[in-house]
Amino acid sequence: MRQAKISVLSLLTLGVLATTGCPGDDSAPAADSGSTTSADGTGTTAVAETTDPGDTTAAGSEESGTTGDNSADFPNCSCDEFETGTCYAVTADDEEGLQIAANTMGDGDALVLGLGVFELDNQVTIRGDDITVCGQGMGEEGNFEMGTILDFASQAAQSNGLDAVGDRFTVRDLALVDAKKDGLRVEDSDFVTIQRVRATWRTEGSSKNGAYGLYPVSSNHVLIEDSEAYNSADAGIYVGQCQNAIVRNNIAMGNVAGIEIENTQFADVYGNHAEDNTGGLLIFDLPGNPIFGRDISVHDNVVINNNRTNFAAGGTVQAIPVGTGTFAMASRRVEIFNNTYADNATMDIALISGLVIEGNEESWGIPVGEVVGDIDGLDLPTDGKLVYSYRTDNVLVHDNTHSGSGTNPTLSSFEQELGLLLAFVYGANLPVDSLLYGTIGESSFDPADPAMNSNDNHICLGDTNDGATFASLNIGGLLNDAGEIIGTFDDLYRPDAPFTPFDCGEFQAGPIIPPDMD
Amino acid sequence: MVTRSTTTAALAVIGLLGWGCGSDGDGADPSNDATGSSTSGGTTAGSTSTGSTSEAADDTSTGGSSSGGEPEPQGFDPEGDAPDLLSEYGLLDWDGSQITYRENVFPYDMNTSLFSDFALKDRAIFIPPGETSTYPEPSYPDNQVIEYPVGTIIVKSFMFPADFTDPESAIDLIETRVLLRYPDEWVALPYVWDHELGDAVLTVQGDTRQVTFVDPEGTEQTANYLVPQKNQCAECHELKEEKGDDTFITPIGPNPRNLNRIGANGDNQLEHMAEAGVLQGLPPIGEVPQTWDDRSFADTPVDELDPETLVRAARDYLDVNCAHCHNPRGVSGISSQLFLNWDNEDEFNLGVCKAPGSAGNSGNLDYDIVPGNADESILIFRTESENVGNMMPLLGRSLVHGDGIALLRAWIDAMPPNDCVSE
Repeated sequence: MRQAKISVLSLLTLGVLATTGCPGDDSAPAADSGSTTSADGTGTTAVAETTDPGDTTAAGSEESGTTGDNSADFPNCSCDEFETGTCYAVTADDEEGLQIAANTMGDGDALVLGLGVFELDNQVTIRGDDITVCGQGMGEEGNFEMGTILDFASQAAQSNGLDAVGDRFTVRDLALVDAKKDGLRVEDSDFVTIQRVRATWRTEGSSKNGAYGLYPVSSNHVLIEDSEAYNSADAGIYVGQCQNAIVRNNIAMGNVAGIEIENTQFADVYGNHAEDNTGGLLIFDLPGNPIFGRDISVHDNVVINNNRTNFAAGGTVQAIPVGTGTFAMASRRVEIFNNTYADNATMDIALISGLVIEGNEESWGIPVGEVVGDIDGLDLPTDGKLVYSYRTDNVLVHDNTHSGSGTNPTLSSFEQELGLLLAFVYGANLPVDSLLYGTIGESSFDPADPAMNSNDNHICLGDTNDGATFASLNIGGLLNDAGEIIGTFDDLYRPDAPFTPFDCGEFQAGPIIPPDMD
Repeated sequence: MVTRSTTTAALAVIGLLGWGCGSDGDGADPSNDATGSSTSGGTTAGSTSTGSTSEAADDTSTGGSSSGGEPEPQGFDPEGDAPDLLSEYGLLDWDGSQITYRENVFPYDMNTSLFSDFALKDRAIFIPPGETSTYPEPSYPDNQVIEYPVGTIIVKSFMFPADFTDPESAIDLIETRVLLRYPDEWVALPYVWDHELGDAVLTVQGDTRQVTFVDPEGTEQTANYLVPQKNQCAECHELKEEKGDDTFITPIGPNPRNLNRIGANGDNQLEHMAEAGVLQGLPPIGEVPQTWDDRSFADTPVDELDPETLVRAARDYLDVNCAHCHNPRGVSGISSQLFLNWDNEDEFNLGVCKAPGSAGNSGNLDYDIVPGNADESILIFRTESENVGNMMPLLGRSLVHGDGIALLRAWIDAMPPNDCVSE
């Protein structure tokens, strides 16, 4: 109750501190936080009551002329760099001040967070267009004090760390730790920029960790760069149901899925490092989703040693075989090239029909009128009323390097059926081939059945996949009606390079269309 | 135990209260005392001020004359910022045991209400005098919520008795949330009660606290109660426009289906508002759809519901408790493709044999709903969980709603069995 009173004071004070909140206010609202704040909510009382212009408290402002004073708190990002809108600067420890600012700011405003740790019992919620949130650095993994840390370990409800909805949203230079749900979730936004943001959970390999590290979803024009994601119980960096995305120069480690591009159209994914996840870098559509993924370019990434036990608490991600480099599932118009794959114990690259994880075609059907985005040029199965997304086609894989993978496909457990299947079928004939194509009932290359050899799904493997071997799996033929594995190594179709007739080199309907970021 | 009636006596007192908020918190205390002492007896009589507009107007003029003829300021400035103190809206009074509403404020109840850790919720709506709301067109893009005029205020107060089994038990009024109808948008704001101040204070940053009480079954419970941040209100109250990508804030509860019930004064709530001149376009009440009344939890065990009622009850329960996110335009729920709105007719999107799209702990289960098998249904796992990382809904609940779970279980178990394994 007392807190409520305080909050009004805090609110009023924040208004005073805002750069453009008080035209003509030449007082110097900046700060020595040490003398006035404490780690708990009551700390803000002191902040709020410190309205003596001489005793600067919490914020830096363009007009304040006190940048020298707060450079210690705001060495990287300060209100000095925001010329329009209102800038709210909050020093570490002032959790309530942070929440008041987040819930007070409007379109075009900025939230600048000081150096240090904010311990938060609820998510930081941003609503509005043209908002920037910046901190003083994302720190280094394993350290929870460097830079600007938003620590959600004491979160009371199942909420995210930083949760934003708004066009032209930018977040940079901060770390999000131990969020109950997702570290960063940006939804339904156009033009999203995520730079140098680290999302992490303190406990490695825990299914109680939050689901996604960095999660732009249902958004357009998304850039994620120079960011990091660790230990998420689902996907570290998850671009979901987006259009036009660039994901570059990021690090994903210790997650179930390192980087996922899901139901996304026009994405360029390059320069990333995915290591020590269950699966490194995955591209897929989920059944029943109206955004059909397309035109995904994956190149110049390092995808190595993704052998972490699958610690997902549930969901589709639980089916990712331990030791997966990349899979493209229910995907179309995907190019995978110039990447480095190594030491992924089950497989480097698997191209899989959606029917392998969801065998009921109807689950993949979307009424024609509900399809979102551009499906021109995609050769999608349809009955005129429904369009189906299970098919994986027009995939071009070339110029990657492969080494040391497929040596231990037995790491998977019963939840990872594809991993088990590979372990059984390959038996002692290891390593598992680094490139795999698996489908059910579609053209999948059966030496005994020429009718199955049309490659009408346009799975294309360049002949410069250094160190690669390949197998095509007619997964339906490897199982009996009861779903038991009856196939053997001899049932695999394993052509040598150039892997004829998979040696096609072009996309139907032209090359991959890059994301349009304008 | 919490009545919503406003008596003539209360209205007379209201006339004595000032707009009141130019002064600081201390100045508000006397008014609170005055209201409390004079209304505590009268409100239990059960009469209401909302019988008709003319009556209410008479009451006010009486009250007004006793304070010098100044009309009671009410509402908010649709061109300005929301006030810092709840009292500045001039809508309600809290006497320490119950809320009383002033003139032009219409208390209402819902047929099916959102479970909020057993919190008692007191709801009312203020429509500016001379204005009226409009019954929604069937395709009204506001999720079939009634269309309210600029200046409308919807208030919802959350309170916990120390002991739900004891009608005399002390009541802790925690917060009052308001939805303000501005010219172009709704704005949602939380006000946290400060009982020393005798007022509720705008608290945009929200609050979290533990609340301990004895629940209606006599079990002691401790809820991690969360007062939502201003922006967090959008998690539930935000929808996408039907066309384009814009989003907007909307009321959720006050739609015709859910308001279509007999109110505290014995009249149908919708008819009452229509008669009072604040709702136009109301069809004959028999043609207005009606949500299932969740008070029947108290007298009809779910296993005694007839099949049709069971389905309706479960779908209405899901609609109210889940569909604010899980509907095709719900900003927070659309990516799941799980749509639990009462009028969704697509079984897959309802969750039947649907593998969860993305996030969330599914308890090692495969499908949202496995017909005939509640134990294997993720929908039950997540609504039954008290683990912060697993539970649904995400906000507003830290405890399990036993009655609601029993209903959902019975609904799923009664479906024709299907193990969801294809072919």
